[in-house]
Amino acid sequence: MSAAFSPLEQMVVVLARDLADGELGAAGAAALVPMAAIALARELHAPNMTVGGEMFFNPEPGHLYPSMLDDRALGRCEAAETFIELFGHSHHGLDFFFHSGLQHDAYGNINLHHVGGTLHAPKMRGPGAANLSYCHTSTRFYICPTVHTARNFVEKVDFITIPGHLSGPEAKRAAGLTKEGPRFVVTPRAVMDFDPATLRMRLKSVHAGHTAEEVQRHTGFDLGIRGDVPQTPAPTEEELTVLRERVDKTGTLRI
Amino acid sequence: MERKKKPTRHSKVTSLGDAAILARNALRERPEICLGGLFKQGRPVALVRALLAAGAKDLHVYSSPGAGYDIDLMIAAGAVEQVFIPGVTLENRLCPNFRSAVESGQVTAHALDALTVVGGLMASAHGVPFQPIDALRGSDVLKHNPLIREIDCPFSGRRIHAVGPIRPRVTFLHAQEADRWGNLRYLSTMVYADQLMARASDMVIASVDRIVPDDVILDDPSRVTVPAHYIDAVVEVPYGAHPTASFPGYAMDEEHIDAYADLGDAARTGDRAGLDAYIARHVTAPTSQEDYIKAVGGADNLARLKPEARTE
Repeated sequence: MSAAFSPLEQMVVVLARDLADGELGAAGAAALVPMAAIALARELHAPNMTVGGEMFFNPEPGHLYPSMLDDRALGRCEAAETFIELFGHSHHGLDFFFHSGLQHDAYGNINLHHVGGTLHAPKMRGPGAANLSYCHTSTRFYICPTVHTARNFVEKVDFITIPGHLSGPEAKRAAGLTKEGPRFVVTPRAVMDFDPATLRMRLKSVHAGHTAEEVQRHTGFDLGIRGDVPQTPAPTEEELTVLRERVDKTGTLRI
Repeated sequence: MERKKKPTRHSKVTSLGDAAILARNALRERPEICLGGLFKQGRPVALVRALLAAGAKDLHVYSSPGAGYDIDLMIAAGAVEQVFIPGVTLENRLCPNFRSAVESGQVTAHALDALTVVGGLMASAHGVPFQPIDALRGSDVLKHNPLIREIDCPFSGRRIHAVGPIRPRVTFLHAQEADRWGNLRYLSTMVYADQLMARASDMVIASVDRIVPDDVILDDPSRVTVPAHYIDAVVEVPYGAHPTASFPGYAMDEEHIDAYADLGDAARTGDRAGLDAYIARHVTAPTSQEDYIKAVGGADNLARLKPEARTE
């Protein structure tokens, strides 16, 4: 039995397990969970991973910071780049990247621009987003919002900032999105993946202490639940120890 | 034979007030201003405050692809007409005045992405008519982005995008050090898009935390981030990036920015008194950076931002 863990720690572990040794990837701004996942993977099984594509290589932060685009979060790093090199990385793509937004829909599209109204007469204007390319030039990306409600998981986003699977395989092909796109979604409640035939989101597993019924109730579209839903494998003793002792020394993921 | 006296090279060191007037007058010709740094780091905020105090209006604001506090303050002060910045956020919360102004239609915020902005600056810096972009697909931003066009690639025949030159009339940068000629040395790990902006703009004004002796530059030329050739004026402004960070000198003043955002949120719900008082105290009233430092609690108070900025 492993010790009690927080929802964010569960998210970090789910993501870290999917990042492979030797890969190149990064997280952007507002990226506490992805940065922890990258750091944990490097500690546990991916010592040859390159963290890059966001204006630096292989940062060694003193502790966890909420944004990767922060000199403090870089701590020491092996090399620095600029937006000039980021232009190239964006075209060449990475192996993995992470996104989350104001709204996420059934096909993994993400909205950061506006909720309600129109772009130039929005009911609520969001922050927008800087990099729209890694989601489709990279091999894959992960969706990992730290809240999961029927308000941020909607059938159709009001604006597609970051394209996921658009409206399915045909639309994706027509738009020239040739890579995998969003591989899975992890939230504080559950893991969702995408039906390979339709590319619609479906419930894959629920975290300890959560139920399929509850996850569905907090999701604004049908998660295609059929029968029993497995439980997300909890963090192991080793994962949790390394996460707390070497990655998140200040306990940011437990607040 | 009598030797002629050696002519004197002009120092580019300027006062904050003179720099602001120089910028304001240039921006009256063409309102495109560009800000260096990124989000809460390396932002030329003292120059921005001085420009606002000098009465700049109807600005079209560009930046590296992410900005927050400064663009929000410029909007709160009523100086902005259009925003050409892809991501506008305080990261831990939304920008309150940006939101209000866009939701009420006072300010136009264009839907853009990092490659459009960086590509446009690249075209301008390199002196070419456009920069091709081949990594924009599937996003609704493409339907609204005013700066790109679809073109046929002359080699592959594929449909790709092109962005024309982004040529700011004025760019403000903040560096840690410069000599009196304007050679900028960034000691921070990241230098953002500042080198590109310096080469892309008509006029470049830099603030620095300190002016260093000529020899510091001459002894280590590969350490110069932006050569003086691209710089029109340099202003020595201790804590010139505050409340954003100037690494490794001082970290971002999250407390200050949060308190400002609270006032912005109050203004959103109808109570503007606090925000107006903030602008009066920090932007309009100070006649120098010393005044500003006093207004934010004095140098002793700002010294608390130093330890956090150093990486152990």
